Amino acid sequence: MADATGDGGVGPATLVLGIETSCDETAAACVRGGTDVLSSVVSSQVELHARYGGVVPEIASRAHNELIIPVTARAMVEAGVEGDRVDAVAATTGPGLVGALLVGVSAAKALALAWDVPFVSVNHLEAHLYAAFLEDPELQLPMVVLLVSGGHTLLVLMEGHGRYRLLGQTLDDAAGEAFDKVARFLGLGYPGGPAIDRVAMEGDPEAIAFPRALMDGGLDFSFSGLKTAVVNHVRAHPDVSTADVAASFQAAVVDVLVAKARAAAQEVGAGALALGGGVAANSLLREQFLTACTEDGLHAFLPSRSMCTDNAAMIAAAGWYRLQREGPTPLDCGADPNLRLATF
Amino acid sequence: MLILGIETSTMQVGCAIGGHEGVLASTHITRGKRHAENLTPAVRFLCEQSQVGLDEIGLVAVDVGPGLFTGLRVGVATAKALAFALRVPMIGVSSLDLMAFPVRFSSRLIVTALDARRGELYYAFYRQVPGGVQRIGDHQLGSPDDLASELLATGEEVLLVGDGAQRYVEAFEGLAKVELVEPGNRSPSAEALVELAHARALREEFERPDAIEPVYLRRPDAEINWSTRDGA
Ligand SMILES: [Zn+2]
Repeated sequence: MADATGDGGVGPATLVLGIETSCDETAAACVRGGTDVLSSVVSSQVELHARYGGVVPEIASRAHNELIIPVTARAMVEAGVEGDRVDAVAATTGPGLVGALLVGVSAAKALALAWDVPFVSVNHLEAHLYAAFLEDPELQLPMVVLLVSGGHTLLVLMEGHGRYRLLGQTLDDAAGEAFDKVARFLGLGYPGGPAIDRVAMEGDPEAIAFPRALMDGGLDFSFSGLKTAVVNHVRAHPDVSTADVAASFQAAVVDVLVAKARAAAQEVGAGALALGGGVAANSLLREQFLTACTEDGLHAFLPSRSMCTDNAAMIAAAGWYRLQREGPTPLDCGADPNLRLATF
Repeated sequence: MLILGIETSTMQVGCAIGGHEGVLASTHITRGKRHAENLTPAVRFLCEQSQVGLDEIGLVAVDVGPGLFTGLRVGVATAKALAFALRVPMIGVSSLDLMAFPVRFSSRLIVTALDARRGELYYAFYRQVPGGVQRIGDHQLGSPDDLASELLATGEEVLLVGDGAQRYVEAFEGLAKVELVEPGNRSPSAEALVELAHARALREEFERPDAIEPVYLRRPDAEINWSTRDGA
């Protein structure tokens, strides 16, 4: 633990154990120097929640409590590190489901105390921004990040490490939430993102002209009207092709996401545009995002599919940067389900 | 070998250190319901003030409930992580057993009852045996009236303990043979946890950290609603 203590030096050799339990993935990872991923273990609870059509907080909390030690142990074995060789322990303290967050925060603080190493609190949204640096350390700042998941739809300007500006966000449902709700309504199952992605391949994205909300109204998003439009259309046309509905719905979401991301990059003069969050795995979004970046001469960053969804490697990476910037977080830290991205 | 005990099944956050010389140090915080914020600093404070290094801890004991879900998970996750990091075994002890421990010298039927919220109690029955008390039957979840009828049905002299009994005092006041133990004994204590765990450690009843889970007694609401819908 020579790097993280004493003179406070946090460097390329500093090894951070990251822990993530904010929603329905129990994850742990070992990352050296903020970029070198030695291990990343993710245990998804998706099957536990599937029949409810969404994440059930109490079920998630119970599962995190069962999985937290086995997942952490595996991350350490896969990285080949002994417990006392970790230099810091980072955990997501928010935003997320409070009962779920508390399992990871409690375990992480206890590990830090037992090993006598710093504990670092990590903002889940900030960690998604750092997922890009894990795969592309050469990324140039400032960049604009479009963060789209089941819980969030944000456009963030990352000016420097720890320096963010919120450019736009959803006024109602998150994009991933809209995918889940529409998939559920169409009887396509849970999680909705991959289900719609699959079915949409067979459909015509121009079959139905669903609304593109707030298309000319700044950088905020709104998806609840789109969901209602899908429901109304299907009720009015009971024999419509499900594939056409899925494809047209997906096209409406992606059009808005890509248009606003482009507008944001142009507005702030960013040279790079990055995608993050679970919805970043969507095929159409990836395709249109790349096309837009090429047309606008922007450096594009597309995360690998495993880096889109919640994982602990991004927590450890964000933790490394935060430790370097701000030092350890006191052990009386709790969880904040509504934690915001610190902006300026 | 020293034992670290962690107890968070009620509104209270407690921890204690002890061994064969008894309890060396303990701390309890009842105000605030800040389990996650308080617990790790409390363990650190306890170690520093009693001059015990965490490397001297040979066993982590934890109150596994029944009790308040979030508090329990904070305690169990913390205890498991400490045991994992320190590479020591664990012992899980029931919250209701912990409540019976301080009144173990009573020859009456001992009943411990913790507040389960939603108008219900977690409770269990105990009888004196040489060297302590023994639980009769399982942990139960029921209304104060359910418990009152059970107490009446025994026809025995009863000592009733716990925050659940205190909260629903009106359900038990009319029962002639039932005595409620006064405040001061409302919540499980970390000292009792260390003492009970010590006795079980002598019998080598150790558990692995990944085998310890809270005793919930109540299924998640979503699961209950689902099976109700299924049955309909
Ligand atoms: Zn996420």
